[in-house]
Amino acid sequence: MPSPYLVLVFLLTVCVSLATWLQPHYLAWGGSRTGDGGLLATLLGESRRLFAAQFFFKADAYFHSGFYPTIFDNQIVEKELHMSEESEAARTPRPPEAEARTTQWSPGEDYGFLGSPKDWLDRFSRNFFPSRHTHLEQKSEAREILPWLRLSTWLDPHRVESYTVAAFWLRTRLGRPELAAQLLHEGWRANPDSYEILLALGRIDEENRHDPVRAHNLYALALRKWHRQQDGNAEPDLYTYRELLGHLVLVDEKQGDWAEAVQYLTLLKKISPNPAAIQRQIDEARAKLTPAPGPAPGPP
Amino acid sequence: MNAVWPIATVVVKELYRRKDFYVLFVLTALITLLMGSVTFFHDDRIARYLKELCLLLIWVSTLVIAITATARQLPAEREQRTILPLLAKPVSRGEVVVGKFLGCWLACGVALVVFYLFFGVVSATREHAWPLTNYFQALWLQWCMLAIVVAMSLAGSLVFAAPSSNATIVFLVASAILLVGRHLNTVALTLPEPAQTLVYALYFALPHLELFDLRDLLVHDWAPIAWWAWAAATLYALAYTWVFLLVAWLSFRRRPLV
Amino acid sequence: MDPILNIDNLRVEYRNRELGQGVTVALADLSLRVNAGEVFGFLGPNGAGKTTTIQVLLGFVQPTRGSAQLFGVDVREPTARQRLGYLPELTYYYKFLSAEELLRFYARLFRLARGEAERRIDAILKLVELESARRRPIKTYSKGMQQRVGLAQALINNPDLLILDEPTSGLDPLGRMKVREIIDRLRGEGKTVFFSSHELGEVETACDRVAILHQGQLKVVGPVAALVREHQASLEQVFLRMIGYPPTPTPA
Repeated sequence: MPSPYLVLVFLLTVCVSLATWLQPHYLAWGGSRTGDGGLLATLLGESRRLFAAQFFFKADAYFHSGFYPTIFDNQIVEKELHMSEESEAARTPRPPEAEARTTQWSPGEDYGFLGSPKDWLDRFSRNFFPSRHTHLEQKSEAREILPWLRLSTWLDPHRVESYTVAAFWLRTRLGRPELAAQLLHEGWRANPDSYEILLALGRIDEENRHDPVRAHNLYALALRKWHRQQDGNAEPDLYTYRELLGHLVLVDEKQGDWAEAVQYLTLLKKISPNPAAIQRQIDEARAKLTPAPGPAPGPP
Repeated sequence: MNAVWPIATVVVKELYRRKDFYVLFVLTALITLLMGSVTFFHDDRIARYLKELCLLLIWVSTLVIAITATARQLPAEREQRTILPLLAKPVSRGEVVVGKFLGCWLACGVALVVFYLFFGVVSATREHAWPLTNYFQALWLQWCMLAIVVAMSLAGSLVFAAPSSNATIVFLVASAILLVGRHLNTVALTLPEPAQTLVYALYFALPHLELFDLRDLLVHDWAPIAWWAWAAATLYALAYTWVFLLVAWLSFRRRPLV
Repeated sequence: MDPILNIDNLRVEYRNRELGQGVTVALADLSLRVNAGEVFGFLGPNGAGKTTTIQVLLGFVQPTRGSAQLFGVDVREPTARQRLGYLPELTYYYKFLSAEELLRFYARLFRLARGEAERRIDAILKLVELESARRRPIKTYSKGMQQRVGLAQALINNPDLLILDEPTSGLDPLGRMKVREIIDRLRGEGKTVFFSSHELGEVETACDRVAILHQGQLKVVGPVAALVREHQASLEQVFLRMIGYPPTPTPA
């Protein structure tokens, strides 16, 4: 009977040998980890997408300081979130559908998704959890939603919304456009066909870096990708399409390219709920396109 | 009720000479510090996710401590027969039930204070604030909730044969109440009769442990709750605690010990 | 003189767990009185009902019928046990406490004043020779030491009545000697001792009166000397006769 220490040494040797032999195979093997990476993702398998979705909604709950519906509450609230919409409203012309999305949880309503109390216990219990609709007010509070969005991107790198929403908050409330760009590039690598990420990147160039040329190129590329993916769809993503056209018009106007602006405005008019307003914009652009009669330029 | 306090102090001594509390505290601290070491977007002032995680661990840990410690009290006394020399003294069975309850509840209170101190320190390192009123209200109400859970476990230990089955059942019931208790009225309204009446009756009958959960208010820096609501919740906990203690006493008072 | 321990028509029945098995009678209309200052031996073979009687006296088991009083108080009242000391057959103590802590705990249950409690703890630990180990957890004690803790806790309130359930059956020689010493001392102090035992020799030398119980029924009760004289036999022979041993041969 060999000594137990000898057996232990033998077993340890076998373990180390196996580990060194398996290591190159492990590195060579792509498997389902390709592109997703990360220990967490490998451990959680496909369920990581559920966690990613959950963390994304968690970020929205943080945006509302904990006031958030559960599966039991009135489901009038769309699961599409308005974390990134509130501040955007001030900057971008919004389609009415988008406005509707933010008004469903009206801050003016006392009870929001909870509805009026059903009984005394329900009324009493509302003292003990956030039961008023609020949004993160202070600039510094905005950072609180970021961990959940970051976790969401780690767990599901193909969840484009997590990148765009996180980038929005980094860029607008926290004033860190470079970090936002870095995150969006990471998202772009995992989702090379995402027109949403290109739109978000374009906005950084347009609004933070003040580089309309680069922004225009990104928007144009995004528009091509949009057409490639959405043309022929029964319900195309018109919200992003409108945003893309709107920003293209803006950068064209900044660059003085009125002819192209007219082209995009014409496209925008077709899908706009308020075509008369767009027509007025087209007329204004056309007026700038036609040079006003004046003295002929002299020789240099 | 002169025997209540000595019995309670022995229970507290027992619980703090066991390793359960220390293991759970170290685990909570480790996980919190590990998560705190992760920086998101190079910003070390992000606090709320860490507060939420820490509070979740505190809730789970204290529930585990309260339930497992209480569930074994009376069965262990009977199994190891320490109940015999105890009841051979001028001690009533009611005093034993209340003493066991008080001991477990006090031990949970001490554990809660330690956990919340840790929480306060973690939170202060990020937010540089000590909202003491909020902490006090949250700690107190959680302690009140644990009073109900401890009394429930004690009553359960006289109903269910094995402490492990009692602990599992109480843990599941407490978790279920915490998760869906608040929504049973909503669920009831979607059901046909007589299920609607039954579920609504259950909604009013069960102890709403979620009333004592101020975690979201604490995490998101809401103002302290109204003091009248705090006092009413305390009375609510007191009432349910006595209900379960009464059940435990009724079940224990004539039970043969051997 | 009022008896210290008074049992009147006590009947204890246990419902059998198996369906249709009815009930088992553990005690059948037992009546017994123990007077102050007596050392009373409670004898009987295994299953005779000795432990059940003690359990009723201590409130562990509810009687089906009849009553029992200690110091004139119904045994269901906790106050009946205020002047009582009880030594169980085996050691059942909180092993995470030290002997000192355990005794302090029991002293508090008897509502002894702090100073008085500390004095008694010191004296009793000295008596049972556990002084040097008083601060060590009981779980670290040897079996003999744990049994002596049992003796100590039974005496913490300076009881007027000491109930000992098979007091010497599990004790080491030192423990046995201590029990004998304590019984003698209590007798000298005019205290009452009620103990069940198998050790007939010990009972014969220690007890003033004995009762013999068999199958839940009281067979005989009286002073040891009177029983021996009346039956013209040793206590052991009296005991065997009372429990029907050897069995009477049935006529062919």
